Amino acid sequence: MEFIKADNVRFAYEPAEGELPREVLHGVSLEIKKGEFVALLGHNGCGKSTMAKLFNGMLLPTEGKVTVEGMDTADEETIYEVRRRVGLVQQNPDNQLVASIVEEDVAFGPENLGIEPKEIRRRVDEALKAVDMYEYRENAPYKLSGGQKQRVAIAGIIAMEPDCIVLDEPTAMLDPRGRDEVMETIHKLNREKGITIILITHYMDEAVQAGRVIVMDEGNILTEGTPREVFSQVELLKQHHLDVPQATELAYRLRSYGCGIPDGILNEEECVGALYALIRKE
Amino acid sequence: MLSDITLGQYFPGRSILHRLDPRVKMVLVLAAIVLIFTAFNFASMGLVVALVIAGMLLSGVPVKMYLKSMKAILFIVAFTSILNLFYGTGEPIFQWGFMQITMNGVYRCIFIAIRITALILCSSILTFTTSPTQLTDAMERLMKPLKLFRVPVHDIAMIMTIALRFVPTLLEETDKIMSAQKARGADMESGGLMQRIKSLIPILIPLFVSAFRRAYDLAMAMECRCYNSRMTPTKMKQLHMAGRDAVAIVVVLVVIAGVVVGDIFLPSLA
Repeated sequence: MEFIKADNVRFAYEPAEGELPREVLHGVSLEIKKGEFVALLGHNGCGKSTMAKLFNGMLLPTEGKVTVEGMDTADEETIYEVRRRVGLVQQNPDNQLVASIVEEDVAFGPENLGIEPKEIRRRVDEALKAVDMYEYRENAPYKLSGGQKQRVAIAGIIAMEPDCIVLDEPTAMLDPRGRDEVMETIHKLNREKGITIILITHYMDEAVQAGRVIVMDEGNILTEGTPREVFSQVELLKQHHLDVPQATELAYRLRSYGCGIPDGILNEEECVGALYALIRKE
Repeated sequence: MLSDITLGQYFPGRSILHRLDPRVKMVLVLAAIVLIFTAFNFASMGLVVALVIAGMLLSGVPVKMYLKSMKAILFIVAFTSILNLFYGTGEPIFQWGFMQITMNGVYRCIFIAIRITALILCSSILTFTTSPTQLTDAMERLMKPLKLFRVPVHDIAMIMTIALRFVPTLLEETDKIMSAQKARGADMESGGLMQRIKSLIPILIPLFVSAFRRAYDLAMAMECRCYNSRMTPTKMKQLHMAGRDAVAIVVVLVVIAGVVVGDIFLPSLA
């Protein structure tokens, strides 16, 4: 059964005075299954961040509906249960930490849920260990690096024991090392704890690592499928001014010059393999 | 540049004062401050001063740090005590024109200097040995009875927590904006007072804009983590009183008794 379901969702932000409402999502339907790793791809202004906020009811669709395990996000009775199950991590790690000590920040979610102190302690320790930040539990957040802060933010979500984490461009403000740390953490959570991951990104190399890729363009879903299926449609993506991973791009260009390189190359390793095979053949 | 302010700073440590229950510490410090202003002769005042000095030494924080925190208010101490010198009543011991100094004035002068100094040292002991989170936590718990009068105690504590959390973030940001504006040719070091105040505008506006943006993000992050006023939140860290808290309370009670006895049986000087 699908875990999150968006059914023909339309969304328009409240217009500023004297302006006409501008619709950012024009009837998006999608389904996310439990345990999946989905990348939501698209360039700025395509509606992917809006989509992120719809998944846990931070925004409500103007038309259509979003359900999380059958619970409508527009239902006020179940909204906190929805938010507990679907956590949201934002782009700027500085702006989502509440307390001035790491472990107290991680405890913020479970405290709001009214959980027993002993159980909170257990969850906080477990969450910090899951993101490899346990040694930093008594530090002040402002002394941590961007990648570390973002991992603390993720721990704050995990401590609520969610089924799904939505990450809205979590690596956009990080240096390459921070990006690797965060990506590694996300994959580990998906693999070891079975947490559903919805990763919103505009980095192609991050999308390639997902189980399924959904490409959005101007408020609609352009295409979806496994990374291989999606990135073999190079022409379609280019028409919509979207990038493809570098290795895919290289293979695509070589092929257009008449080299016998196969379709659907995703990473450097595959590209090197294909080139090697090609050279040996000649 | 903006970071060397000792007043209100916290020095992590394991001293007995660090380990006291923050609620007890807060109440005792308040009691000591009241005592400072109710000691009216040298014996009583001596007792209070001894308590404050004992606190300073027990805190394990270098005395240098306490002196540093005094530096900022040295002028206020000097000013108020000199002013008090001329407001004494009784027989003048020195007269020059309309100004006169009496024995009472001299005592007032000495007492006010001791009082302000002890007040600052006393609150420094509290902030030096208690982390900001412990302070807000203690405050929240001490204010709990106010809930009966519909005072939003939890919200107030939350506001304080967030304010403390964002002090370093916003300081860092201010430094960044200042550098950015300097790089664009802003001049902040010359001109008269008005000129200098005006030159702060290009720093304050971006700072405010970014603070509001942060506030929006933070509110969203808090809501995502189920912050709301309907449910009653729990606390991960529970406060427990221990033997040392009882000892501290007894010590302060003895000093209170001493001051009361001193005030009753000895003549009031100021």
